[in-house]
Amino acid sequence: MFAAFFYALRDAGIPVSPTSFLRLQRALGLGLIGSVDDFYAVARSLLVKSERYFDLYDQVFAHIFAGAEAPAVDTVELSAAIRALIEQWLAEPAELARLLKLPVAQVRKLSADELVEYFLKTLAEQQAAHRGGSRWIGTGGTSPVGHSGNHLGGMRVGGGPGNFSAIKVALDRRYHDYAQGGVLTDQLLGEALKRLRHLKPSGPKDQIDIDATIYQTVRNAGEIELVFEQHLKDKLKVALAVDNGGWSMVPYVKLVQRLFDQARAQFKELRTFFFHNTIYDALWEDAARYKKPLKVDELPRLEPETRWIIVGDASMAPDELESGWGNIYLDSRRDRPSIERLHFIARTFKHCVWLNPVPQRYWKGTPTISAIAAIMPMYELSLDGIEQAVVQLMRK
Amino acid sequence: MNAPQPRFTGAASYVLDDELAKIVNVSIALELPLLLKGEPGTGKTMLAHAIADSLGLPLIVLNVKSSMKLVDALYQYDTLTRLNDSRFGDSKRNVSNIEEYLRMGKIGQAFTSEQRVVLLIDEIDKADTDFQDDMLDVLDQMQFDIIEVDQTIKARQRPIIVITSNAKKDLSDPFLGRCNFHHIAFPDAELMRRIVVTHFPTLQEQLLEAALGAFYRLRAIEGVEKKPATRELINWLRALQSDPDFKPDALKQGAVPHLGVLFKKSGDYAAAYNKLARSR
Repeated sequence: MFAAFFYALRDAGIPVSPTSFLRLQRALGLGLIGSVDDFYAVARSLLVKSERYFDLYDQVFAHIFAGAEAPAVDTVELSAAIRALIEQWLAEPAELARLLKLPVAQVRKLSADELVEYFLKTLAEQQAAHRGGSRWIGTGGTSPVGHSGNHLGGMRVGGGPGNFSAIKVALDRRYHDYAQGGVLTDQLLGEALKRLRHLKPSGPKDQIDIDATIYQTVRNAGEIELVFEQHLKDKLKVALAVDNGGWSMVPYVKLVQRLFDQARAQFKELRTFFFHNTIYDALWEDAARYKKPLKVDELPRLEPETRWIIVGDASMAPDELESGWGNIYLDSRRDRPSIERLHFIARTFKHCVWLNPVPQRYWKGTPTISAIAAIMPMYELSLDGIEQAVVQLMRK
Repeated sequence: MNAPQPRFTGAASYVLDDELAKIVNVSIALELPLLLKGEPGTGKTMLAHAIADSLGLPLIVLNVKSSMKLVDALYQYDTLTRLNDSRFGDSKRNVSNIEEYLRMGKIGQAFTSEQRVVLLIDEIDKADTDFQDDMLDVLDQMQFDIIEVDQTIKARQRPIIVITSNAKKDLSDPFLGRCNFHHIAFPDAELMRRIVVTHFPTLQEQLLEAALGAFYRLRAIEGVEKKPATRELINWLRALQSDPDFKPDALKQGAVPHLGVLFKKSGDYAAAYNKLARSR
């Protein structure tokens, strides 16, 4: 029964297991489901195991049971993907203006949200104009639009809804907001913090060491001798370097700082530095990057056990990274290329990671990202990425 | 399977939406643990209490902690007391009988209970993945071994299991595969009204209206880390009611007394405060 529904869910990208589908059959067999409403609620709880898929489920359900338009497979990720792209483009407003056919000055005025909206609107117009055409922006051109042929996301007006309230509910798509994953957001801050907790070595333990207690008791001719385990390890020293230059990093600077400020208590020491695009001769302790420089040559004076967490999009012109004259600030040009400086840091400190807010799937397109990832482990600034980075940082 | 299954229809202090009631009943019938996710303060834990209340079953709560090992939840072997007894020999326990030093943990209690119980495993996301998967094995097979005495404890009655998680990240696949899943969405204004009325049956319509309006306005403030949820709303209403100086009209004019009940983080409080100051 309902095999078509099962396959439609799978085709839409919801990982529905055959076991759970059999469970649904059992529920049907037991007479637990008496209406479409029941079916909607029960099937969802049995088949769909994450609220991220609830929205997709609603669409498939409406499609199968009410003939609403089938969901596009990548609808869920579309607006997140566009957001990431737009953030990349913000670094090059001229390019973005050309793509959106807007004057540069106007593009600068729009917020990221407004841009996403505008972009989606433009996309909709395009789609309407060339129905069936799957490509739109710069195929093979310079723009980073890799996933041409996206179906348009957003709300779909379903076909005539039936008389069932479940279908109306499904058409409502209440779970639209939950259908987002990817790069760290304000909402995920608490979760990210939980990941960072693993950076803490175990503090004082007042547990009784049973084996040692028995041993000492026996040695003591049966007079009980309690032995306490006490691990008093040093807390970690953490150095955080944040790229706070350029538009592309603006949304993340505050987020990252808040994340680490909240975690501050569990570190022995947390030092925050700033840089623009990549690290040259110095890091700055002030966000404006001119009052308090710390020369990279002096970094070895920090403890070698310091954990370095560098946050930046690592996206720049290759020259900025590789040429001795790469620094985009003319007055501070030096002859050491930044890439050497990064190698130096990675050599000096055993534990370095680079967290990148650019979603991993776009990394290949930017040569400087690959170049830096070759020097030190790079992870996406997402929950999974932070988790992996913490594992890397705790490695002996 | 032939015995009639108890049906859950809601409890006096818990407003149940239809969807959730169906899911709870199907979980009971299929004997699957029910995994609940959702924003903190949306009544995940309360649901287990409500199920226990309405079915008249005892509730056993396992509060998961990050340092917890699975065996802690199953049983404890009190080595220290035994050591002490063997040294001083002044207790009534028989030192050579290990079983006298075994105590059941929360899962063990649920299994050995004469009566069917509701077992709430609260905030499972705090523990690590191994704990979660191992625990599901135990709950799947409804039995575990006590290594010290080589004894298998089998569940006398299959408990009704409710598991809650605050995590926004998904739990592991094998875990999810063995659970029934529901995500409690944040209640809309209509459902919230019903929830509030259950808690404050005598609340004036006018105050309720004004308070709900203010509450949803405050929730819409952007950049807040922990948005106020049902729990905060109810505490806030309690605060408003106990405040002799409070007048419902003030809410309509944009004033929000006792803001600290709704926003508990200082950053959030400041953000909400500024927002209110500006909009007035």
